[in-house]
Amino acid sequence: MDRLPRLALSVLIVLAACAGSFLFARGHVKPFSSNAPDYRELGPADARVTIVEFSDFECPACRVAEPPMRALLKLYDGRVRFVFKHFPLERMHRWARGGAIAAECAGRQGKFWEYHHELYDHQHEWSSEKSEELWLSYAKKIKLNEAEWQSCRLDPQVNAAIDADVRDGENAWVGSTPTFFINGKRFVGALQLSERGTPWVEKELKK
Amino acid sequence: MSAKIHPSVGLAARVIVGAVLVYAGAAKAAGPAEEFAIVIGSYDLLPRDMVLTAATFLPWVEILIGWALIFGLKLRAAAISAGAMFAAFLLALASVQLKGIQLPNCGCFGDAIHFTPLQAFLFDACMSALCWLSWKSAPSPLSLDSWVEGGYTGTTHGKR
Repeated sequence: MDRLPRLALSVLIVLAACAGSFLFARGHVKPFSSNAPDYRELGPADARVTIVEFSDFECPACRVAEPPMRALLKLYDGRVRFVFKHFPLERMHRWARGGAIAAECAGRQGKFWEYHHELYDHQHEWSSEKSEELWLSYAKKIKLNEAEWQSCRLDPQVNAAIDADVRDGENAWVGSTPTFFINGKRFVGALQLSERGTPWVEKELKK
Repeated sequence: MSAKIHPSVGLAARVIVGAVLVYAGAAKAAGPAEEFAIVIGSYDLLPRDMVLTAATFLPWVEILIGWALIFGLKLRAAAISAGAMFAAFLLALASVQLKGIQLPNCGCFGDAIHFTPLQAFLFDACMSALCWLSWKSAPSPLSLDSWVEGGYTGTTHGKR
């Protein structure tokens, strides 16, 4: 064989190896559910734009992303559906799951968002050994039925619901929080949400 | 007068560097570019509107150079490219240290392996040395370059 055909075949071999790497790598991404209980959703169910947030109550970056997220929801009020999914990063955040359980149990009494706001607004206070007493104080502040809330926190189904969200996040290859999916397109962190999220919502609404 | 590198040393060097680049590139390409963009952005070296583009293409550049090294295709060019990449990584790490930026992780292997900045610095320095060995030992045995040129002769490519 001459030099040129050999060179062409060599290039093809290397490109085939690259393509093989692509197929191997992409084979790991799985579909995920964007559903959550009604109390963790905002906006009309048939909205043209659905925003799914995977979040961790103890994550400072999630707290930073709260104001732009709330502003975005206010801006597109009634035109966007928002779904909150738990993704506690327990290797780094010791109290994250406890916070998620507390919020989930507030949600069962129809007060998920009030509790959600309390957790983010006071994140630096309850992310400590004082977590139990502060979680209870937030429950009292938003007038939850304390006995129901306490027994709910021991319910294994609450943990199972959080585990299901974590599995969805893992299937969606969520590696850090907050991660947002706006009609399936990923935005990681407050900066990506602020800079690229809003134009993307506009574009999706115009479709 | 330059020291001569034993062909087997050069072969080992290029396969190690190539495998590292393919693994690092695939680990990052497997995950979402937006995740890798967060890490690249934290280095604060590129303009913000270029970060996502870099996060999308950099893993594939690593994979391409990695396979070129493993198969020994255009070995000198591949070794120089790999060396330039590791030198750029070293400069990026030095820059964040000087700026006092705390990296969440070096981003070397996506989510698969997390290095501290010091570990990443030492690792990249070793890889740079192996790139130099790969470049120095070209032409290399068991390479597509040798096959294209009609056989490995040890010092220079055979001519047809």
